[in-house]
Amino acid sequence: MTTQQLRPIVSVFPIKGKVKTIKQVPLPSVFSAPIRPDVVRFVHTNMAKNNRQAHAVSTTAGEQTSATSWGTGRAVARIPRVKGSGTGRSGQAAFGNMCRGGRMYAPKKVWRKWHRKINTNQKRYAVCSAIAATAVTPLVMSRGHRVNKLPELPLVVSDQLQSLTKTRQAVKFLKFIGAYRDVEKVIRTKKTRVGQGKYRNRRHVLRKGPMVVYARNLGIKKAFRNIPGVETASVYTLNLLKLAPGSQMGRFIIWTESAFKLLEDIYGSWEKPSKFKSGFYLPRPVMVNTDVERIIKSDQVQTVLRNRRPRSRKYGKKIQRADPYEDMSVMVKLNPYYKTKLQKQKELDEKNKKERKEIVDKSRKEYEDWLYFSEEEEEEEEEGSDEDREIEVLSDEN
Amino acid sequence: MSKQVPETIKKQVKRSFNSKEVKKEKNEKRMKLLKEIQTKAFKRAEKYEKEYLEQEQKLVELKQQALKEGSFYREPEPKLAFIIRIRGIVGVPPKPRKILQLLRLRRIYSGVFIRLNKSSLRMLHFIDPYVTWGYPDVETVRALIYKRGHARVNHQRKIIDSNEMIYDKLQKFDIVCMEDLVHEIYTVGKNFKHANSFLWAFKLKPPVGGFSTVKKSFVNKGEHGNREQYINTLVKKMI
Repeated sequence: MTTQQLRPIVSVFPIKGKVKTIKQVPLPSVFSAPIRPDVVRFVHTNMAKNNRQAHAVSTTAGEQTSATSWGTGRAVARIPRVKGSGTGRSGQAAFGNMCRGGRMYAPKKVWRKWHRKINTNQKRYAVCSAIAATAVTPLVMSRGHRVNKLPELPLVVSDQLQSLTKTRQAVKFLKFIGAYRDVEKVIRTKKTRVGQGKYRNRRHVLRKGPMVVYARNLGIKKAFRNIPGVETASVYTLNLLKLAPGSQMGRFIIWTESAFKLLEDIYGSWEKPSKFKSGFYLPRPVMVNTDVERIIKSDQVQTVLRNRRPRSRKYGKKIQRADPYEDMSVMVKLNPYYKTKLQKQKELDEKNKKERKEIVDKSRKEYEDWLYFSEEEEEEEEEGSDEDREIEVLSDEN
Repeated sequence: MSKQVPETIKKQVKRSFNSKEVKKEKNEKRMKLLKEIQTKAFKRAEKYEKEYLEQEQKLVELKQQALKEGSFYREPEPKLAFIIRIRGIVGVPPKPRKILQLLRLRRIYSGVFIRLNKSSLRMLHFIDPYVTWGYPDVETVRALIYKRGHARVNHQRKIIDSNEMIYDKLQKFDIVCMEDLVHEIYTVGKNFKHANSFLWAFKLKPPVGGFSTVKKSFVNKGEHGNREQYINTLVKKMI
């Protein structure tokens, strides 16, 4: 949606002679309208209902009997039964949707809502999207058109095309420009319709070929009329059902030069309204720059982002850990003082042990000493008998 | 012909949070911090050992002094209790249920530390039939935190496997290692609240050797209620 945008240039081709650019025209703003398949689908499904013809089942179908239920007690179902006798029909079930020859469930009525209202702006939005899609080669190809040999898409051709009158000329032109392959496809794939339409005056089914859009009909309509698959349309009345058949965007369109130029007036731009659709501006896209990846990776965005939070692996996994009272390495990791503590405890224990040993030894020694002295005292008491022996020794001397 | 690297990728690599230089720098910083924490842990553990020993000795001294004088030494009332829930969750009336929830005793054999004051004692009174509690000593507190200590980290229960974990959460309260945590809990320091809420409620095993009867109070040869210092032997059986 740039102001005074530098619009791309599209070549205009002649209708015979050599396939080369005779002129260049700017691309109308419509081709930059947002391509919205959802809008196109919605509008198309509703628009397609608008050419339906009413149909219904006869109002009297299945009701043209005077059947009455026989009631209970007759060992038959209670469904209304045809009165009378003398014919196979009598006593048969009637009226119900389950009955043979009865009326259907919810008989179709003509006053069913056949047509759909669609908001004008929505319709215009869809058409703009569909036109924009016709310039996108991948979309046109995916729709199934054979556009490989075309000089350019969108394909714009000189206004002389509008003055063609003969079908032969038209075919020659299509071959010249490289569009005939699409027509060949249509011819090749013409088939008998599957289903009952074939005997309801809709016998054959054709693909869609190129669509020729003109500004003035100077014979072009009749020239292209008989070519299978080819449709013509005035640029003033472009139909979504033809631009996106089956709500599939990307119809192959051949524009005449004046028709192409008129698109700018008919659909307007974001600054200038349409000249023909009062108050209509081209729909605005939600995103102007849809390259999301590029936006995210741009400097302007990346420099403002905070750093990516690291996946906190330390708290991420379920951490298994051994019992610190069994595994020394775990204990030391949690309490680096532990080994020193054990050592000190050990030293203290040893010191205490030593002290205790000394005390014990000392007391034991004291006890033994006491024991020894008490033995000596006993011995001293026994020494009293020795004195008697001394007297005897004296008497011997005399 | 070398492959051209897209400019966006070049820029991304330059800006990358995970580039080699940045990683290296971060790692170095972290290693330095870990070393600091461990040296602090060593020094503080040493300090606390002395402190606990002094406390014990002081107590003994005061008692002896009192005996000499012929009077009594009344020990200061305990500040810390360890509560263990010994009844299940079925059939608990609303008031005790709420109190047990508030104390984080949401399942049987779960245990928490609590500071004792008038309010908490009243709370304990209500939940007496569902819990047993007492006054843990240093070794019990240590064993619980070392063996069964889990931290509440990012609303998750994670086993404390390094001092870094404690540092990250409790550094602003000057608690950087296991021994700091133990000290804070045991002595019910200024930041007891934060140290205690850092710890997830302890999940203990059923006691080896079993209970006598949980229906009776400890005083009546049962198991529930206040069992003062005998909580230490129970925790040894349940840890």
